[in-house]
Amino acid sequence: MSDSPDRQDGATQLEIEVEGLRKTFGRREVLKGLSFGLERGGFLSIFGPNGAGKTTTLRVLATLLTAGAGKVNVAGHDVREDPMPVRSAIGLISHTPMLYPDLTAEENLRFYADMYGIEDRGARISDLLDRLELSHRRHDVVRTYSKGMKQRLAIARAILHRPRVLLLDEPHSGLDPRAVDILDGLLMEIRDEHTFVMVTHNISKGLEWGTDLMIIEDGRIVYEHAAGVDPESFSAVYREHVHDGSVL
Amino acid sequence: MNGRRQFMAILRKDLIRELRTREMIISMILFVLLAMVIFHYAFSVKENADLTYFTGGMLWVTFIFAMLLGLNRSFAQEKDERCLDGLLLCPVDRVTIFLAKTAGNLIFLLIIQVVAVPVFTLFFVSRSYVSDLPQFVVVLLLADLGICALGTLLATISMNTRSRDLLLPIIFLPLIVPVLIAATGATTLIFAEGAGFGSLLSRVLFLLGFDAVFLVAAYGTYDFAIGE
Repeated sequence: MSDSPDRQDGATQLEIEVEGLRKTFGRREVLKGLSFGLERGGFLSIFGPNGAGKTTTLRVLATLLTAGAGKVNVAGHDVREDPMPVRSAIGLISHTPMLYPDLTAEENLRFYADMYGIEDRGARISDLLDRLELSHRRHDVVRTYSKGMKQRLAIARAILHRPRVLLLDEPHSGLDPRAVDILDGLLMEIRDEHTFVMVTHNISKGLEWGTDLMIIEDGRIVYEHAAGVDPESFSAVYREHVHDGSVL
Repeated sequence: MNGRRQFMAILRKDLIRELRTREMIISMILFVLLAMVIFHYAFSVKENADLTYFTGGMLWVTFIFAMLLGLNRSFAQEKDERCLDGLLLCPVDRVTIFLAKTAGNLIFLLIIQVVAVPVFTLFFVSRSYVSDLPQFVVVLLLADLGICALGTLLATISMNTRSRDLLLPIIFLPLIVPVLIAATGATTLIFAEGAGFGSLLSRVLFLLGFDAVFLVAAYGTYDFAIGE
C-alpha cells in the first residue's frame, strides 16, 4: 500500500493514490486525513464499523462526492480537477443495482452503453448478458428480477465500458447464498482484468480476495497491511479496533 | 457528438419509462381536467357569463401546478434504486443531463397541453382564435421552456432534501410568477381580442429573456445543483 517499496521506487504505477483525504458533512468530519495507495491490479479490502467512513471514501473515489481536502488520484487523474477520465475508468457495484426498474435489461445496458460512448454496443451487451446468464430475460423489465439477478445485471452495467478500476460497496449485502456464489464466481472471472477496491463487513471474503487490507474507524485508517494475514489474527486485530461485533 | 448521443440516451430513457408506466402523464392529465371542472363551477357566477378574459389565467395556473406534479415524479424515478448515482458515474457533462431532463419535461407538458387547450377552449373561450394560432403557439412554447428550465433546475436542487415535495413548490412558485404574468397577459389578449405579434412583442421578449436567464443560470450552476 502507501508504504510499499515499489511505490517509493516509482517502479510500479499506482492506480489509486489518496493523500490527506478529508470530508465533512455539516459539522461532522467523517474522513480525517486518509492516505493510501493501490497498485494496478491490486485488490484493496476496506473493513470497519458502520459510519466509519468506508462508503464515503468509495464515493469520493467514484467522483460522487467531492473531497473537502486532500488529493485523490484514480487511474492517473485527479478526481476533482479532471473527473471525466476518472468516470470512464471506474465501475461501481453497490448493494443497490443503479438500474431503472421500468426498463428491460437490454434497455438499461443500451442506455449506459450510449452514456459511455461504447461503439460495439450490441455485441458487448449480448456478450455480457450471455456471460451473466441473463440472455433469456433480456427483454423483461428489471422490476421483475430477483435480487440476485439484479446484482448480476449490475455487474454487467459496471463492467460494460471495460473500466480499469472496479469499486465494490458491500456487493454481497442482501443476497442469498446461491446468489453470493454466482456473484463471487463472476467477480473471480474478471479478477485479473481490473483493480478492485471493496468495502465490506465480510471479513473472510475480504481476506480471501484482498492483496491489501485496511480498517477504517471514525474516519481514520487504524490498520493497513498487505495480504497474507491469517484470518484468526486479523479477527483479533479487527476486534481490537472495532467494537460493533462484526462477523468473521 | 458524444454529448448529443448522451442527450438522446437520457431523453429516450425518460420517454420509454413514462410511456411504459404513464405515472406522470396520467396524473398530470387528471389534474388538468379536474382543475378545469373546478374552475367551471367556481366561475359559474352568472348563466352564460363570458369567461374568455379569465381563461389565460386559469390555463397557466393549471399548467404550472400540473408541472409541479410532473417535476416531482421526474426526479423521484432517478432516486429509485439510486439510478441517479449510476447516471452521475457516467462521463457526461452535467449540462447535458439538465438539457435532456428539460426536454423530457417539455415534451410531457406539451402532451398535456395538446389535451387541455382544446378542452379549455371549448368550455371557456367564446370566440374562435384559429387565425391567431401561430402567436399562441409561440407564447406557449416560450412559456413552457421557461417553466421547464426553471422547474428542472429547482427540482434537481430540491431532490436531495428530505422535504423535497414541500420545498419545490415553495421555491418554484414565486420564481415562476413573471412567466405566469407574461403568458397570462399574452394568452388573454390572443383569446379575447385576437392580438397580432406586434401587440404581443413586449411579452414575447420578456419570455425570451426569462428563458435565456434560466438556461444560462442552469449552465453555470447545474454541476453544483446535481452534486452533493
